[in-house]
Amino acid sequence: MPRPVVKEITFTLDGREVTAPEGMILVDAANQFGDVEIPVFCYEPKLGQPVGACRMCLVEIEGIPKLQTGCSTPVRDGMVVNTQTQRVHEAQRAVVEFLLINHPLDCPVCDKGGECPLQDITYGWGPGTSRFIEPKRHFKKPLELSPLIAIDRERCILCYRCVRYSQEVSEDYQLVLQQRGADSYVSTFDGHPYVAPFSGNIIELCPVGALTSRAYRFRARPWDIEGAGTICAGCPAQCNVELTVRDERVLRVLARDNENVDDGWLCDKGRFAYQAVHSDERITTPLVREGDELVPASWDKAIEVAGAALEKAGAKAAAIAGGTTTNEEAFLLQDLFRGKLGSSHLATRAGGEQPLDVVRALADPKLQATVPDLEFAHTVLLVDCDPIDEVPVWDLRIRKGVRRHGTKVVVASARPTALDPSAAATLRFAPGGAEAFLVALDAALSGDTGNLGGAASAAGSNATAVSEFADALRAAGEEVVIVYGERALRGSAGRAILNIASRLNLASIANAGILELPASPNGRGLREAGFAAGHGPGFASVATPGHGGEEIAAGLASGDLQTVWLHHVDPLRNYPNRPAWEKALAGAQTVIAVESQLTDTVAQFADVVFPAEAYPEKDGTLTHPDGRVQRLRQAVGHPRGAGNTPGSGVRPLWQVISDVARAVGFDEGAALAGSQVSQRLFEAVPFYTGLTLDAIGGRGLRWQDEATFDVPASEPGALDVPSGLPAKSEAELRLGTFRPLWAAKEVDIAPALQFIRAKQVVELSPADADARGIREGDRAEVGNGTRIPATVRIRAAIPAGSVFLAEGIAEHNSNVLTHGIVEVRRVGPGSTEPSSLPIQSQPAVEGLAEMPPSAGLPIPPREVAE
Amino acid sequence: MPYDPGDDVIVIHQPREGAASGTFRAFAATLKGLKTTFARVPEGTITINYPEEKTPVYPRFRGRHKLHRFEDTGLEKCVGCSLCAAACPADCIRVVANENTPDNRVSAGERYAAVYEINLSRCIFCGYCEIACPFDAITLGHDYEMADYNRSDLIFTKEMLLAEPLERTPLRTADE
Ligand code: SF4
Ligand code: FES
Repeated sequence: MPRPVVKEITFTLDGREVTAPEGMILVDAANQFGDVEIPVFCYEPKLGQPVGACRMCLVEIEGIPKLQTGCSTPVRDGMVVNTQTQRVHEAQRAVVEFLLINHPLDCPVCDKGGECPLQDITYGWGPGTSRFIEPKRHFKKPLELSPLIAIDRERCILCYRCVRYSQEVSEDYQLVLQQRGADSYVSTFDGHPYVAPFSGNIIELCPVGALTSRAYRFRARPWDIEGAGTICAGCPAQCNVELTVRDERVLRVLARDNENVDDGWLCDKGRFAYQAVHSDERITTPLVREGDELVPASWDKAIEVAGAALEKAGAKAAAIAGGTTTNEEAFLLQDLFRGKLGSSHLATRAGGEQPLDVVRALADPKLQATVPDLEFAHTVLLVDCDPIDEVPVWDLRIRKGVRRHGTKVVVASARPTALDPSAAATLRFAPGGAEAFLVALDAALSGDTGNLGGAASAAGSNATAVSEFADALRAAGEEVVIVYGERALRGSAGRAILNIASRLNLASIANAGILELPASPNGRGLREAGFAAGHGPGFASVATPGHGGEEIAAGLASGDLQTVWLHHVDPLRNYPNRPAWEKALAGAQTVIAVESQLTDTVAQFADVVFPAEAYPEKDGTLTHPDGRVQRLRQAVGHPRGAGNTPGSGVRPLWQVISDVARAVGFDEGAALAGSQVSQRLFEAVPFYTGLTLDAIGGRGLRWQDEATFDVPASEPGALDVPSGLPAKSEAELRLGTFRPLWAAKEVDIAPALQFIRAKQVVELSPADADARGIREGDRAEVGNGTRIPATVRIRAAIPAGSVFLAEGIAEHNSNVLTHGIVEVRRVGPGSTEPSSLPIQSQPAVEGLAEMPPSAGLPIPPREVAE
Repeated sequence: MPYDPGDDVIVIHQPREGAASGTFRAFAATLKGLKTTFARVPEGTITINYPEEKTPVYPRFRGRHKLHRFEDTGLEKCVGCSLCAAACPADCIRVVANENTPDNRVSAGERYAAVYEINLSRCIFCGYCEIACPFDAITLGHDYEMADYNRSDLIFTKEMLLAEPLERTPLRTADE
């Protein structure tokens, strides 16, 4: 969709000529181009259309008798605006006095004090005194709007920001303004707690102290703290954040608006999971297994043991990286493995690898879409991924496109996604049918009816549905962005995506392309830094490609591989097929783990444990899924070990890898400083050449803007129809898994997020539930042989025959089930208490069943003081 | 060889010892001084026997800080707002606030100071904290005896600041 073209116009502001783009809102035009600040409360362009609720922004416009709100007036050519007249000043003073009538002015106890727009505007534009001596309105306070947010209704100035956010940005439709006039107050419509994946953003939006963070409550005041800009490494979205630091502790996470990455929003995981950084459960010293026990060891000893094990294993060593691994760590580690040990067994995800030419073609700069493209494209196609769980802020970005620019969303997935209600077309395939679906879609786009029928039924769908979906994909316009989950990339799926892209001609259309949603936060960076079995830094081919994730597991179990280095990964929790990984880790001679908590992997199998850095302690670069290289900057010091001596505790991981490299006699793979590693990385990856840490700065740089790398143009080729889905009997269901937003080890130990920890839930279609006599909230067992208990949730959008379980969670993880065909049995009645239902990250879109649990937020009676 | 100062040395001529003028000058100067001494004798002693006796201070003298409680409820007046820390030019106040709960009500507001520390070895006794305090919770008292053997003992905690200070500094009366 073409971005709007802007025309420059000239208007008069306080007697000066100012040039600004036509149609810009007066407040913004005055601020950016006229150097005049017009005070605002309710105006926030990120929330959509202005509402003009607070009247703070009144200005005088010649030719209009009454004062006008600057926040809702677009500038016109020749307009004459006065912001400094007596009338305007009087109006501003009157508005401030009016807003303060019911405001308690309890600034000393209010968390917003010192960073409060109401304070600032009162100082700047207020009358200084109030004539109001009558009693103010009183509410019970503070109340729990949700376990994360406290609400103080006395302080509210009724600017509507939070309500507009909930209605128009996050579209969870939970917050409303109840009553009228002076009785108005912000609440959820029936008083249930406001639990939603993005609820924390209203804390930052509220211009007064009415909505405050409970985790940050009374922790510090603005002059006690320092802000440290970095990026959140919680998921591939890599939102830009500013950490609030006091006494070397992270106390809060704020958004650092970058419209190319996050558009100024954060999800609640990113906003509150920082508490895990300072948890007592963190591992802060190296551990070495002696006998059956993991015992604390000195760094020298741990490095020596790890080095000896790697040296002994040589080419039989393997490494798996994920989580917050930086490009630098990945680069050093692959250098050590390839350069010294002669092993290319490097994996970043559970499944196998795509062929190198496909990997390269998928990374083709011409084919890369960007995050803003999600908002402005004609059509966004989601393939087998649900942004709200995997890259939450993209969900908001796509919603913004749909709401404001008429972008069409078409969803093809096994499990219904949160964007389904906004989608122009949805297509459900069977769990595991993503590859066949992509082949079928390619056939439908090319008109190859021969392949279409076979592939569509192999995907568990049918030819008509796929061709209708293909029509919907092309209907809105030529700018199409394809977002696909990395786990869809199996077999010929990569080639199918390339075929689809070339049939839609995406490479030559600006603002269109593909976006891969990697399985780990820095999935793209790891691959570009050369941490992959099939290629080196910059996708350079390697002589002997190594094993991917599944083969590493098999190799360890059979003894073909001896030692495995787990860098920020926990295969027992996050990879499918836990039994196979248990066998693999038990079979490995030495398991070297870089980990921050005593996970099952560490406690049962690790022989050497290096304490992992949390992301606020890291320095380095990450690469965003759209190719933006961003900097992680250290905000707090590393935790110290038991002796409290410097260097005894957590160390930078580039240093640890360097020390291990030295221990195995690979001095050229060791580094003396973190920035030196970055430098070497930028030199080794051809398309990073010319990058410097300074140039990347706080906003990141997309390497595709500067560099290209050559990918031979390929014509869409014929694809084989994948084999059909395994047969199942009437009583059985196909199992799909999904990773809830909250399935993260940081969430498990963050005190503020305990209420929302992901619990196992089995999602069933109404038909299958009826057939088994199962009702919403019942307890059921799912499995085939091995069974896991879960709470039942019935979702109308799930097609009969599919069932979904959560993966990546701490208890009753779905990865113990190794079979894709399962039975579901009711084992007992559930409780009708909504709070027994596990909270998932879906907003309430499918009726009451999806409502978050309600512990009852009392709706306050209005108490008028005597 | 010793250094020969040569012409650089200017010889100052002193009264010759034993000469009449010399003797006179020595005695006359002494007697002049003694005159002042004896003239003050009737006034009595001015020095005081510190530390047994202390100089009284003016009412607005700014000595060691005190934190206050409400007399009726016994709750602390300080709500931990940290405004004193913001006002302090020597950066010697540290406040960490916490939330009052029904079981643990410390102050009258929603929050209280869980940690309130003043580093008196840094404090310059300007009194800005007293001016900044919106609840009159902190005032500067009259105590100036704060010498200690250990620097870290000069960090006064909330308990020390709340404790009734030893009234060891006399206040100057109106006519003094
Ligand atoms: S709670 Fe805050 S954001 Fe919401 S209406 Fe009141 S002042 Fe505005
Ligand atoms: S900012 Fe214009 S009316 Fe609120």
